Amino acid sequence: MTTTQPHRLQTHEPILELNDVSVTFSMDRGDSRVVDEVTLDIERNEVLGIVGESGSGKSMLASALLDAVVDPGTVSGEITFHPQDEPSVSVLELSKADRQRFRWEQIAMVFQGAMSSFNPVRTIRTHFVETLSAHDDDIETGMKRAAGILEDLYLDPDRVLDSYPHELSGGMKQRALIALSLVLEPEVLVMDEPTAALDLLMQRSIIGLLEEIKTQYDLTIVFITHDLPLVADIADRVAVLYAFEIAELGPTEEILSEPAHPYTRLLLKSTPNLQAPIESMQPVEGAAPDPVNVPEGCSFHPRCPLADETCQANDPDAATVSDRHTADCHHYEAAPGAIPLEPPEMDEIERTPRHHGSAGEPLLSLDGLEVHFETEQKGLGLFGEPETVSAVDGVSLDIYENDVVVLVGESGCGKTTLGKAAIGLQEPTGGTVRYRGQDIYGDDSDVDATDRFSADEIRRALQIVHQDPGSSLNPHHRIRSILEAPLKQWYDDLDGNDRQSRILGLLEHVGMTPADDYIDRYPHQLSGGEQQRVALIRAMLLNPELILADEPISALDVSLRVEMMDLLIQLQETFNTSYLFVSHDLSNARYIAEKTGGRIGVVYLGELVEIGPPEQIIHDPQHPYTRALRWATPQLTYRDDRAQTPPIRTIDIPDPTDPPSGCRYHTRCPEARKVCAQSAPATKSGSDAEGHEVACYRVQDDHDYWEDAPIDDADLD
Amino acid sequence: MVFNNWRIRRVGQAVFTVWAVLTLSFALVRLMPGNPMGAMLVQLEQSGMNPARARELVEARLSVRPDQPIPIAYMNYLTSTLQGDLGQSIASGEPVANEIAQALPWTLFVMSWSLCITFVLGVVIGALMAYWEGGRLDVGLTSWAILMGSIPFYVLAFLLLIFLSYRFGWFPTGGKYVAGTEPGFNLPFISGVMYHAILPVLSMLVASGVASLGMRGNSIRVLGSDYLRVARLRGLSDLTISSQYVARNAMLPMYTTLLINIGEMFGGSVVLEQVFQYKGLGYYLYRAVNIRDYPRMMGGFMVITIAVVIALFIADMTYSMIDPRAGGASNESY
Ligand code: SF4
Ligand code: SF4
Repeated sequence: MTTTQPHRLQTHEPILELNDVSVTFSMDRGDSRVVDEVTLDIERNEVLGIVGESGSGKSMLASALLDAVVDPGTVSGEITFHPQDEPSVSVLELSKADRQRFRWEQIAMVFQGAMSSFNPVRTIRTHFVETLSAHDDDIETGMKRAAGILEDLYLDPDRVLDSYPHELSGGMKQRALIALSLVLEPEVLVMDEPTAALDLLMQRSIIGLLEEIKTQYDLTIVFITHDLPLVADIADRVAVLYAFEIAELGPTEEILSEPAHPYTRLLLKSTPNLQAPIESMQPVEGAAPDPVNVPEGCSFHPRCPLADETCQANDPDAATVSDRHTADCHHYEAAPGAIPLEPPEMDEIERTPRHHGSAGEPLLSLDGLEVHFETEQKGLGLFGEPETVSAVDGVSLDIYENDVVVLVGESGCGKTTLGKAAIGLQEPTGGTVRYRGQDIYGDDSDVDATDRFSADEIRRALQIVHQDPGSSLNPHHRIRSILEAPLKQWYDDLDGNDRQSRILGLLEHVGMTPADDYIDRYPHQLSGGEQQRVALIRAMLLNPELILADEPISALDVSLRVEMMDLLIQLQETFNTSYLFVSHDLSNARYIAEKTGGRIGVVYLGELVEIGPPEQIIHDPQHPYTRALRWATPQLTYRDDRAQTPPIRTIDIPDPTDPPSGCRYHTRCPEARKVCAQSAPATKSGSDAEGHEVACYRVQDDHDYWEDAPIDDADLD
Repeated sequence: MVFNNWRIRRVGQAVFTVWAVLTLSFALVRLMPGNPMGAMLVQLEQSGMNPARARELVEARLSVRPDQPIPIAYMNYLTSTLQGDLGQSIASGEPVANEIAQALPWTLFVMSWSLCITFVLGVVIGALMAYWEGGRLDVGLTSWAILMGSIPFYVLAFLLLIFLSYRFGWFPTGGKYVAGTEPGFNLPFISGVMYHAILPVLSMLVASGVASLGMRGNSIRVLGSDYLRVARLRGLSDLTISSQYVARNAMLPMYTTLLINIGEMFGGSVVLEQVFQYKGLGYYLYRAVNIRDYPRMMGGFMVITIAVVIALFIADMTYSMIDPRAGGASNESY
């Protein structure tokens, strides 16, 4: 079944041919091969998605395509580029001058860090001009072309070109960078995690734009990402990288619906998304190998449920699954049976719905919460008033015991500030936060002195787990002392042995065994997931009543996310805590909310625009913004609406120092009518479901909105 | 140019510092035990002057009238100082302000040369490092900077003087210009001035050797940045990359460091000008300290403090011109 020409295409016309391409770094510990003999054809005008976890070698492979691997890495093998109507070139053998011309004129690259891809002290225009002149291109026609590309990317060329990089938002910079990469009309565009730092809505919009750009500029795109659902939306073919090799390669549809390699199947199952039943989502056990120490035989065998002696002894070749679909696995035919994508039949899991509404006193009650920041950025004249950003504006929300609320929204929408204000870390400028009826920021005189909570008690009851566990743990302390500190502070009646056994017990509980070993390590000796667990234990040790988890999994690899979320949920059940999650990802929000019977709250420009049970928010969203977020969330199925125009008017978020009047979403809302710009809609019940509330005129059947004329773009200027 | 609160605050800080310096020196003269006034009196009396005459002289020179109530004296002092009246030198009887006005330009001359050279050197070094991608230059530069950083500048000044001036006779052993040339815009005078300034400038450069070390650190940081990598991929020439990318960005933090160095340079000039017999402000101050000429000392220190405050103020105000990200009129994500 195996072929000698792995990942080769017979019928199509390749634009790039890779033959045994390896990237090697010599290190003290030995040679580290971060791309291992990859052989691959890239077709003209296709979008090839290269998917892999961090450390799988995907970025190195991308750099190798331009022979741009950073020192001291070396590329070996053969890369042949077949330009249109010109003789083929061998990329790795180009002279320095030829290589300089080849890059950007034939193959351009867009990096992940658009934020830092521009020289901070020069305008965007200068970047275009210097690129054109470095390649002896005519500046005037080149700049015309640039303006055209910027316009195609929904940017105002004059304003963007005259801006300094720091004056543009992340999404704008990323698009400006794409325009810069296209200004010399290359044939191939290599994109390395081009949207990773961006919000979902921006990601999805850029993906949509790439589709258009690809046809218009006759491009071949190599799209590298860790995010399988994201490429599913754009790629024609997907290559899955595991341990520096291609594990599976095939048309997107087949990779998604009938993956043949066990790793791909496990990866798909571990990726949170909006459709698959959550019972079927499972983490991939184990960890990816280190480049100096790749397992013998099939590199996936330590983690593979199908592994046998053959796998341990022999490295599998690419086996042909179907016409254009290969998998590097000895037992690919057995994989679908052994690793079903559908969940096993089981009884409907009993989900205990949380008690919202009238049942019980809320644990935490936010009422008309406002947090305004003053900025000094933009004074106008000597005595200019400082601008205020309303990060949170009039949010009311009740959180009950054992409750879970997940806040989602784009970055800068105020969700983190809202969370911090709720647990007492950010003093609000208006409104109140009550913990069991007692105002945590101010006046508590209306509460009887006998059942008044001290500031310390409140502080202990409301805990936070940060996004980046590494920076929240003191690097100079062992896990033992990190975890002992809060115990000493709050439970001084415990003696050393009690403390120790409590910590060991918790470490074991979260799967960090042997716990005696972990307890004496330093944070840097732990993986990201383990650090996050320690941070979580630290919060849990205090028996808090509510934990604010600020993007607790976004720093983790995709295959570890489900595991971490499961742990969070399990801890919640064990300790009877409530959670306030903050996330920018609707799939993760859905996973948590659905598994815990919690609610999802959608935040836009400081306001809570819709909140409700996940069934409503995901399957029947009422607010147009929730719909846009849902549209923006990549899905694991091959969908027909791939090239559909986005359900938003403009891609970019309005300036938060000058939020739009009326309904703040009206500048982007495709459903906006005149009244939306004039007054803000009240929050009303969104459906029959308990706790489903929406701030949009469209849920009010008898509102004047329905008689009003739609807003057109002229109204918005 | 758009002004905003940030700028107003800086102005306020600068004004406050100047005021504090003035007040402090007032307080020193008036209120402290063993104060300059008393010391001067003792000094004059010891030299045989009768006490009443000495008191008169002290009052005149320090512009201090003990019979005035403190608040009025303070106001008088502030107004006269702000009008440029720093009292009169004991030694010469000349107004201190005039004497300083004559000495200061020479010191500033030497300092500005050192500053310019440090700056240019730093930028060139950064650019070269980018050109050679660190490596070769780095080792040499680091050792140089460490060596220079560990030799006190006055030791180097003596070494330069001993070898280059006394031993080889390449440079003058003192003075500011060639005796006998007509001060003014004529070639012999100007070239003489340059010639005499070379050694002081060289020694002062050492005081700022640390700055080039800083530049090295900055360059290394810039060398690792994403935009540099992208610039290389875009095929920009090495020249553009080293000048517009590396040097330009590495320069930013150095700019403020340099202006902060001005304070150190003034301090250094006291010793250096003594070594080279270069009659600038430092020399003047040194003399004043030696002969306990209090009005001169206080005037000199006051001028130096104010100069440093002004330098820092300029650094703050102009930084936004070289770094578009700092202050100024930004329109964050329109
Ligand atoms: S070759 Fe064996 S170990 Fe490797 S993926 Fe296939 S079944 Fe698993
Ligand atoms: S109130 Fe109007 S603008 Fe706001 S979301 Fe609803 S329809 Fe859109």
